Amino acid sequence: MKKVMVEHLKYRYPGTEKLALDDVSFEVEEGELIGIVGRNLSGKSTLAQAIVGLVPHFYRGAYGGKVIVDGIEVLHSTVSDISRKAGIVFQNPFTQVTGSKLTVYEEVAFGLENLGVPRSEMMERIDEALTLLGIYDFRHANPFDLSGGQMQRMAIASIIAMRPEVIILDEPTSQLDPQGTEEVFLAVQRLSREGMTVLLIEHKLEKVARYADKVLWLDEGKVMAYDSPSKVFSRDDLEEHGLAAPIYTQICKALKLKSPDGETYPVTLEGAYEVLKRWN
Amino acid sequence: MKSISLYVDRQSFLHRIDPISKIYYIVAAILVPILYPSLTVAFAVMVISLILLFLGKVIRQTLSVYGFVFLVLITVLIIQTLFYPGNETPVYRIGQVVLYREGFFYALTISFRVINIVTSFLILVFTTRSADLVESLVRKGLSPRFGYVIASVFQIVPEMMSAMGRITDAQRSRGMETEGKLSVRMKAFLPLIGPVVLSSLLNVKERALALEVRGFNAKGKKTFLNEEKNFLAPTAVQWSLLAVILIAIIWRIIQ
Repeated sequence: MKKVMVEHLKYRYPGTEKLALDDVSFEVEEGELIGIVGRNLSGKSTLAQAIVGLVPHFYRGAYGGKVIVDGIEVLHSTVSDISRKAGIVFQNPFTQVTGSKLTVYEEVAFGLENLGVPRSEMMERIDEALTLLGIYDFRHANPFDLSGGQMQRMAIASIIAMRPEVIILDEPTSQLDPQGTEEVFLAVQRLSREGMTVLLIEHKLEKVARYADKVLWLDEGKVMAYDSPSKVFSRDDLEEHGLAAPIYTQICKALKLKSPDGETYPVTLEGAYEVLKRWN
Repeated sequence: MKSISLYVDRQSFLHRIDPISKIYYIVAAILVPILYPSLTVAFAVMVISLILLFLGKVIRQTLSVYGFVFLVLITVLIIQTLFYPGNETPVYRIGQVVLYREGFFYALTISFRVINIVTSFLILVFTTRSADLVESLVRKGLSPRFGYVIASVFQIVPEMMSAMGRITDAQRSRGMETEGKLSVRMKAFLPLIGPVVLSSLLNVKERALALEVRGFNAKGKKTFLNEEKNFLAPTAVQWSLLAVILIAIIWRIIQ
């Protein structure tokens, strides 16, 4: 089943001349993990916000085309309605804390209270989300006392507890240290294994190559490619558009070592290891 | 976690009283002495307030507030005793200075009322978690948006203050003088406050987005994670306070 359908989406922020998104079309199946890549200002975040309805409902601006999330059209729904279908986690963990709650547990409850989820169900969902993200032990802590990685996992838990069909992570690890990054990625992988549809915007292409089923490559608001990580990252025009292929791909490319399929280069450590072993 | 909340966690019956009832008490404690403009009533209500504060086991934490209040009241006492327009009966004479009875009692009434108002607010502030207060008000029909604003102030203001500290350190490490003469401090003010305001504004936009996607503007009835707390007889307390106010009003009218 298709969870996200984007058809010929065009969007321009108010007061600007250039299209932030220019004729973007793609579809995401249930349970897929999609990596969204592209250089800065290529429209990744705008696309993410278009899926949860912040574009156009929060920003306004000129909008064309269609975004359908789990059967509802974003343009004709409110952000609150869409929040039951699609959740988004932003870059900065600090600004995602509501600031009106005194414990992690209450913080995660915020969205559920707003949606009017009954109390007994609320607690069940919160326990589940906190356990899944591995922060159940901190449930009585003050949100502002957590480390960056814990805070970001709390932000993800807050969205997960709302049980959306799709979760979008907009560079969730850009402000975290390596340990925090690893914690968040493991959590994302666990979500994906549970069957959640995940869209992940990420600059660390090694991570994308490792976790994503498919890669959506954007540049200047246009879709450059939407394919498997190995196909996208084996392309020769990556650098031209401001992307550096995963380090494993670069090495194998330099050594002219292709994967066994004979078309693409390895994109992960394991893939590169296999190819290099055979080459030896 | 720094907090600007003054709440003191204690086990007392006041802590178990509904925040709304405490607001009723504030209204009663202000209205009754105004309706009965006598020294005895003002004194009685003040004593009741102080006893309540004492029973709330927070009187020690409130001493600094009283220190400030007394400073103001002592000046009132001196000035009124000397210069109250209705002064007639001299009580005491120190050289040229005459202390009058009317002025003294007038100042005393004012003082009792002020202490009374301050104390009744202190009862609310020191024995109620801000989150409980906001939640009770939202349950009573206060707009959740407004409730959010009140609740978040308690956390976001300390956050802004720590941001201010970070920025001060950053600017100082680049050689800016932030301490010393008044003129130096004034010069340091803009480079400090600019980044604080700008970063706060940026944060506000990001926080607005984050709230939005968590259904902040959802229509329909909201639910609450916490069960409505089992406060001590809220209806009985509120009705009796209302009754006291009503009696005072009726007495005032027939008087």
